[in-house]
Amino acid sequence: MPDHKDITTPELIIDRGSLHPINHMKDTIMSLLVSIGFEIVDGPEIETEEFNFDMLNIKKSHPARQMHDTFYIENKSNLLRTHTSPVQIRGMLEKKPPLAFISGGKVFRKDDDATHLPMFHQVEGIYVDENVSFGQLKDLIYKIIYSLFGEDVKLRFRPSYFPFTEPSAEVDILSTEGKWLEILGCGVVNPIVLENCNIDSDKYSGLAFGLGIERIAMLKHGVSDIREFYKSNLDFLSQFK
Amino acid sequence: MKIAYSHLSQHIEENPTIAEISDSLFQLGHEHEIDGGVFDMEFTPNRGDCLSLNGLLRDLSVFYTVDFNQEIYMEKLDDLQIDFENLSESICPQISFLKLEIENVPEVYKGSLDNYFKDLSLNKNNFFTDVSNYLSYETGQPTHCYDAIKMGGKLLFHKIETNEEFETLIDKKITLTGKNSVFSLNNNIINLAGVVGGKSTSCSINTKTVIVECAFFQPEEIIGKSVKYDIQSEASHKFERGVDPKCHEKVLRRFINLIGEHANIKEMSIFSYKSKDNPIHQLPVDVQKINQIIGIDITENEYLNYLSKLQFGIEKGVIRVPSFRSDVKTQNDLAEEVARVIGYNNIPKSEISIPKNEKTNHKDIENKLRFFLLDHGFYEVINSPFVSLPAEKAIKVDNPLDSNREYLRINITNSLVENLLFNERRQKDSIKLFEISDVYLSSNSINKKRKLSIIASGRVGENYKDFSKKINKQYLVKLFQEILPNQVFDFKIVSRELLDTKIKNEIVALEVDINCFSSDILSYKEASQSPESFAQYNPISDLPSSFKDISYSIKDYSKTQELQDLLLNYQCDIVKNIFIFDYFKNEKKEEIKIGFRFTFQSKKVTLNSSEIESVYNDIVTKSLKISGISIPGM
Repeated sequence: MPDHKDITTPELIIDRGSLHPINHMKDTIMSLLVSIGFEIVDGPEIETEEFNFDMLNIKKSHPARQMHDTFYIENKSNLLRTHTSPVQIRGMLEKKPPLAFISGGKVFRKDDDATHLPMFHQVEGIYVDENVSFGQLKDLIYKIIYSLFGEDVKLRFRPSYFPFTEPSAEVDILSTEGKWLEILGCGVVNPIVLENCNIDSDKYSGLAFGLGIERIAMLKHGVSDIREFYKSNLDFLSQFK
Repeated sequence: MKIAYSHLSQHIEENPTIAEISDSLFQLGHEHEIDGGVFDMEFTPNRGDCLSLNGLLRDLSVFYTVDFNQEIYMEKLDDLQIDFENLSESICPQISFLKLEIENVPEVYKGSLDNYFKDLSLNKNNFFTDVSNYLSYETGQPTHCYDAIKMGGKLLFHKIETNEEFETLIDKKITLTGKNSVFSLNNNIINLAGVVGGKSTSCSINTKTVIVECAFFQPEEIIGKSVKYDIQSEASHKFERGVDPKCHEKVLRRFINLIGEHANIKEMSIFSYKSKDNPIHQLPVDVQKINQIIGIDITENEYLNYLSKLQFGIEKGVIRVPSFRSDVKTQNDLAEEVARVIGYNNIPKSEISIPKNEKTNHKDIENKLRFFLLDHGFYEVINSPFVSLPAEKAIKVDNPLDSNREYLRINITNSLVENLLFNERRQKDSIKLFEISDVYLSSNSINKKRKLSIIASGRVGENYKDFSKKINKQYLVKLFQEILPNQVFDFKIVSRELLDTKIKNEIVALEVDINCFSSDILSYKEASQSPESFAQYNPISDLPSSFKDISYSIKDYSKTQELQDLLLNYQCDIVKNIFIFDYFKNEKKEEIKIGFRFTFQSKKVTLNSSEIESVYNDIVTKSLKISGISIPGM
């Protein structure tokens, strides 16, 4: 094989691999949030009920705790985390405000169909400081959505309910087909959660948000069946170089 | 929950259109779809108080003038003599019974009762049950009707923990297991509290004397029961989300009124049981806090005006939370009320500025590894952690989705072997995959390990340099030595003996803790980059593919580029991939030999040989028009 440049020699096409589109999306969102000032924290996928539910003001009677919604392991001694929020709880217990964390990774819920899988990915964030408001949360959400979908995208905030935030909101974007599509959930951190983490809720307030990575990846890449992401099909993966 | 537009609008003075009410409901956070003149509502779980016509009207009264205009029976009622004992006061702190006897069962309904069945296209059951169902729709409070003739004896409310057979009024036999709150009559279960009544005491079309039960049950005692026993129950849906503990007398008096609109009442009496008073929840007026939480600047008058429209009581610097709003406990809850009234989309943004500290990325090594592997043709995959087979130290899922997903994997390699076989079955002959994931093992405690696993088999690459080389252990050892010369990795050959495949290529795998990698890798300069844009997915075909190779002899070197331009840019629906798999320049013979591989696959049909041959011939014909090239043997 010739070493020197020879115009008759075909270009050697090096076959590069690709990042998994879900991890790429997760990395993209986390990089954006790091640039805004958030710090990445990690936590275990196997959690206790205390961190996954109790500390987040999710009551014992909440349906999410039922066996038909949450995977429990080893005689209910632990569970597979249903969201990445417990990571933030651990972060808040370790550090004092002001603090701004994001965590991303796998979460597990007992679902299995064309739009839901028992394992999926989330990126969640929390910012706690003095005088943090819903207005600031809106500013942050606009920054995230504009970064992902461009500044021409139309979005709306809808009142919603999460036990760990109050007020709570869900955010939709308007698709090119004229349909509102839910993108993320967010809210002002419930003071009960701050107190659970030994943070003075009279002095500090917080905002929190969470995004489902698969949903955003499906929208951005035009994938209609969530299961495609996890077949490890090279014909699929090679499209995301 | 379905609520008719006409039922709402008849109580609203401004007579808004369905679109106007729809907009108001969205602003208040009540998602819905509109089907004809009916709102199909979906409420958040904290808003049990909205699960009724009146509940929704209460919320809408913040925007409109609402006149509930629902008459209730105002006269004094006799005391009902009933042999009732409550052994679980903590579960059911309040309960009332109303006994009614009518002269004749009405054949036609009128007024709001008639509209309810017609406008929502509902099936009727029997008179008393129909009134009960309507009342639940109107007020949000479920009531249960017993046929009074079947109710002789001692009635008991209690919690049981024995397995009991129970036949529901919908003719479904269930076996109660675990802990259940029930009503028993003479030691026989007649009602699974808050979920469904029993057949033995149910009303029929002939029932003229009824005992109406109106109760408050603690939501946590009801949650999960309808799912557990597979019973569709609107009552349990409401009890799970919390009903108004102070509404019983008003609801039962409304019941009397509705009955009186349709039949002559011969006799009526009421029994009420209350184990404790429900204190009124109070919060101090603190508009400054509300403004801080939301990021707005409203006056105290504006604030209190919003709350009073939502039926909150205001008295001497104190806000009294109405009994139907069990979800409001803190200033943040009040802030949400204000935010809903203002409209989330009308709240102005405030610039967020998070102090930026020096932050380290503890995943630097992991990310370097990912890009190193990308540079060498590896694809990142993500696999489910659930597996079917038990293994030593494997963690068992208590409630798996199915028996194929009963355990958590103890390694990643097995998942990658499955991925490899999947791709081999799809005619892939160069497969390089990797996954980085946490793996959990159970010994005395749960141990988490963050691991990198890679697998490779087949050709080294799809280019003329690597095509004829096969992946083997040496290939991977050499690859890693280039970046980490001081580390030794334990590459394994995966035996194909037990695998469902006839392919013979060596499978090489590595699984190693991320912590084992030296920081030397941080000096690696990757060629691959994260994609800057998000590629649009082109749906893939599951139909079989096949390939054809064409080898050319080129005497006139200057034609090499022309041939490449023609073939590598060849466009055809069924040509999926083209690459140069062979290249050799024979200086002595003054000849270049170059081979192209064409992969054929259709998205619509399985290709037959003539379809492939036709395209192949076209390629050959077009290429041979270039002078100075030939196809040996043709």
